[in-house]
Amino acid sequence: MAIQINNVYKRFGSLTVVNGVSVDIADGEFFVMLGPSGCGKTTTLRMVAGLETASEGQIFIDGRDMTHAEPRHRDIAMAFQDYGLYPNMTVFQNIEFPLKIRKLAPAERRRKVEETAGRLGISDYLGRKPAQMSGGQRQRVSLARALVRNPKVFLMDEPLSNLDAKLRAVMRTEIKKLVTDLGITTIYVTHDQIEAMSMADRIAVMRKGDMVQVAPPLQVYDRPTTCFVADFIGSPPMNLFKAELANSGRVVCQVQGFGDALDDAERERARAMADRHGHFAVGIRPEHLQCVAAGTPGSVEGIVELVEPLGQTTNIYLLSGDTKYVVVTDRTTLRAGDTIGVIAPGDKVRAVGLDR
Amino acid sequence: MASQKPLLSRAAKLAAAYALALIATAFFAFPVFWMASSSFKSELDISQYPPVWSFTPTFENYAKLASELDAFDAFVNSAVIVGLATTLAMVCGTMAAYALARFDVRGKEIIAFEVLSIRMLPPIVSVIPMFIIARALGIFDTYWLLAAAYGLAGLPFVVWVMRVFIQDIPQSIEEAAMIDGCSRFQTFWRVTLPLLLPGLAATMVIVFMFAWNEFLLASMLTSQNAKTLPVIAANAIKPKAIAWGLASAAGVVMSLPVVVLVLMMQRYLVRGLTLGAVKG
Repeated sequence: MAIQINNVYKRFGSLTVVNGVSVDIADGEFFVMLGPSGCGKTTTLRMVAGLETASEGQIFIDGRDMTHAEPRHRDIAMAFQDYGLYPNMTVFQNIEFPLKIRKLAPAERRRKVEETAGRLGISDYLGRKPAQMSGGQRQRVSLARALVRNPKVFLMDEPLSNLDAKLRAVMRTEIKKLVTDLGITTIYVTHDQIEAMSMADRIAVMRKGDMVQVAPPLQVYDRPTTCFVADFIGSPPMNLFKAELANSGRVVCQVQGFGDALDDAERERARAMADRHGHFAVGIRPEHLQCVAAGTPGSVEGIVELVEPLGQTTNIYLLSGDTKYVVVTDRTTLRAGDTIGVIAPGDKVRAVGLDR
Repeated sequence: MASQKPLLSRAAKLAAAYALALIATAFFAFPVFWMASSSFKSELDISQYPPVWSFTPTFENYAKLASELDAFDAFVNSAVIVGLATTLAMVCGTMAAYALARFDVRGKEIIAFEVLSIRMLPPIVSVIPMFIIARALGIFDTYWLLAAAYGLAGLPFVVWVMRVFIQDIPQSIEEAAMIDGCSRFQTFWRVTLPLLLPGLAATMVIVFMFAWNEFLLASMLTSQNAKTLPVIAANAIKPKAIAWGLASAAGVVMSLPVVVLVLMMQRYLVRGLTLGAVKG
């Protein structure tokens, strides 16, 4: 089922938490809302669920206006960060609950519960209480309870945040596979960029109640539209250099060599996204910068401040003039204090808009 | 044999702990035992000094309680009044507590405090106004007056205690229920209420005990028809002497329902009284 969020606001007194969000989510899409805490992503999700009422704007689910409908009339399922399991019921009863409320016949309920539990690998725990299970198992129960009634929309509010890193990686792929196989439209809220990148069909990066950029993961990574997005996604994040469009059309940059590397297409984009003073930023991903010998033509001179070997890659912290930035390379013999040249390949340098 | 010593001392410590617990229990249980045994003694046995430990039990006191003091009627009065009051306080109080815990009620902190402030009034202050109001309404010396008085007195307590119990239930559980297809009321009835049972049991016992033992209002706001047990029991103390056997029998009759109630609720009580101490 498709979901349309149409210019939705949420205000608590004088505080605006969601600031006019509009987005169309396609049937079967895996849509991730990503942002730091307090950016309004969870509130937006809760308005789609009907747990909060929008102060303004409309929400359509499958073409029907659901802005003020009760949660139970929206045909949605939801997974919560703290699982929201009924502690006094067994796993079986937890999963059965939505079917019981819908007054399905007991035999039918049993069949569906067992089928869903089998799919999630919790068939052996049906007699247990939630308190007797680990976090990962509990989240599986909550997913089973959500999926047992074949919902058309699945909302997930940071479902993996309470799990340890290893389990998170496992559950991530499992959830993605599960909802993709079932073709359920999913809205997934997270502050974890890896979850967003690995699971999403499209990511909406949110900041202070606004959806700053809505695009497929790689596009968000390759072409962040604002400094906030550039800085939020990627680890280490994108290097950003202050830049300005002079009247002559020339780009003046904090590290001039990188500003000069902008190709014509990016220059055009810069013209479109620069603010009224002509300010924007030049962004380069750390892994796209290349270290060469000092004095190589076209290179920028940099002094190595710190070398951070991570095994697979190495972070090199550099200083050019008084500007600090990072390069990610393979293993290196460089050491703090060395002077090297840095080259920015023209097709990898991006114009990035400033945050409003 | 080096390990023998700490084992022995641990056993000794355990024995000492048990002994202490037994002594404490005996200390607190003795008056109850004394009351119960006295209620079965004859006038003669009670006045013996030093007290007699073996005697022929008699139901004389209980018979007198029923015939002279109309204890049976009073018991029924008490049961009806306290039952009504407890039900009223629990139902209304829990619903109010739910609203104060879960809904965005404007100025709910002030409302909650206002509810509690009723408790700050010494009961004696309200006796005369209540007397006058009761006369005007024509409900003096009826069940309704005391039931209303006890219900209202218990209400603030229920609101405050149940509010905390409700707040202790994670909101996501209720939200999950609403997403699973429940209306607000179904959510409360099928999901929240079962989780509240320990809290409800603990609160109910306390409200019940308060109303069951209440004497001041009962003695002032009843004359004949709605007399409750505490008023009757007080009649055992006569101007010239205390009828010990009668008083003891009245005490036993008064204690029994509370004991039965606590035993019935025991399953929930332990959890209810310790809830919040340890996070599940």
